[in-house]
Amino acid sequence: MSGPAGTPVLTHDEVVEMGGAFVLGALDPADAAAVRTHLATCREDHSEIEGLGSVLAVLDESVPVVEPPAGLKARIMAAAAAESSGAPTTVAPTPVAAPTTVAAAPTPFPTADERAARQARRTSPLSWALRIAAVVAIVALGASTLVLRNQLTDAQAYQQAVTAVIDAAGEPGALTAVLTADGDTGTGLAAVSPSGQVTIAMQDLAPTTGSTVYTAWVIGGDGVPVDIGSFPVGRAGTASFTAAGVTPTAGIVLALTREPVPGLTAPSGPVVSKGVATAAG
Amino acid sequence: MLVRLADGELDALEDLYDRYKTMAYSIAYRITNDATLAEDVVQEAFLGAWRNAARYVEGRGSVKTWLLSIVHHRAIDAVRRRRPTTELPDLELPPPDSLTVPDVWSEVAVGLDAATVQGALAVLSDVQREAIELAYFGGLTQQEIAQRTGTPLGTVKSRMRLGLLAMRRKLEGEPS
Repeated sequence: MSGPAGTPVLTHDEVVEMGGAFVLGALDPADAAAVRTHLATCREDHSEIEGLGSVLAVLDESVPVVEPPAGLKARIMAAAAAESSGAPTTVAPTPVAAPTTVAAAPTPFPTADERAARQARRTSPLSWALRIAAVVAIVALGASTLVLRNQLTDAQAYQQAVTAVIDAAGEPGALTAVLTADGDTGTGLAAVSPSGQVTIAMQDLAPTTGSTVYTAWVIGGDGVPVDIGSFPVGRAGTASFTAAGVTPTAGIVLALTREPVPGLTAPSGPVVSKGVATAAG
Repeated sequence: MLVRLADGELDALEDLYDRYKTMAYSIAYRITNDATLAEDVVQEAFLGAWRNAARYVEGRGSVKTWLLSIVHHRAIDAVRRRRPTTELPDLELPPPDSLTVPDVWSEVAVGLDAATVQGALAVLSDVQREAIELAYFGGLTQQEIAQRTGTPLGTVKSRMRLGLLAMRRKLEGEPS
């Protein structure tokens, strides 16, 4: 006998008999659904099953104690901070520039499989210069902001953004760039993958307000800046940004300008930060 | 804490982590037997709790029980994904209500000491303990347990049910 969508229909006695397996999660999806349906519709007493479920707390208490790694908390808080602050998002590119931008979604810590896959394709080691720059960038930000806990989460979010750049830079054939401030503020790191995806991590940027954004530009051999997308910056002054459609040629310049609105076809303000992309490794 | 969690406060997430990190990781590690996988499970469980706290506030019961049920659910899902022969549950399906809507008794159970826990486990026969552990910590279905142990399916069902019933009676002070 079966119910909607092939879900078996169970008698009360059958459900009671399956109670242990149900609370332990040992039923296959169809049987579990059938038990749920029964519990939701049957008026007979199911207190035994509820009682069985309450014993699970004892099983939880019985496991050997294993302390989590020290870095796990920072990873969780960084992921939450990135999510909470609202990930910087790129806007539609201008028709002239025509690269495809990719929304800079929150960057969760990669799963074990993802980390393994990334490790497997790292045949080209990241240059030590970039690694050192990354560490300096993280430490510099951390050292200046560790006083307050909220600022610590900002530092962790930036660290996560830097990690994304390092991962991108690890791809064979990737280009990297250290973005230095043209004025007082705005430093960061960038990587351009062989497929043309740009990943940028920035810090020490002045926060934006209203429609003001930072716009990222790629300047190739012809010297013409091409808009690859824009992003706002919050009070932390950090940003994580990705865009696609860039030709990965060594020597291209990555630059940021602060613009009154996104989508301009040419920079209207001075360069805030820039760097030359060179081969990683 | 739940209200602050529901408001998306990072401090509340930090408090939640500090309070339950060891138990959450211990359960995840017990189930996955893999430090990296356990880390991923715990991370996703805490972030999931933080994101969905508003939904929980509308419910009831212990936040510890709720959080640990998420950890358990995700850990079991992770080990089942490592076993391609297992039919995967719907990822969006929440844990059984019996895990997420704890009754008064389970509120009391939160404070169980080690001796009480060991005493409750001691009432299990070897075959009952095996069936319960294969299900709860191994992520095996009752059919898989029957196949692995060479036991009729009906017997496996009985072992799980009667074992849990005996534990409950022991905890309530009844003769087992």
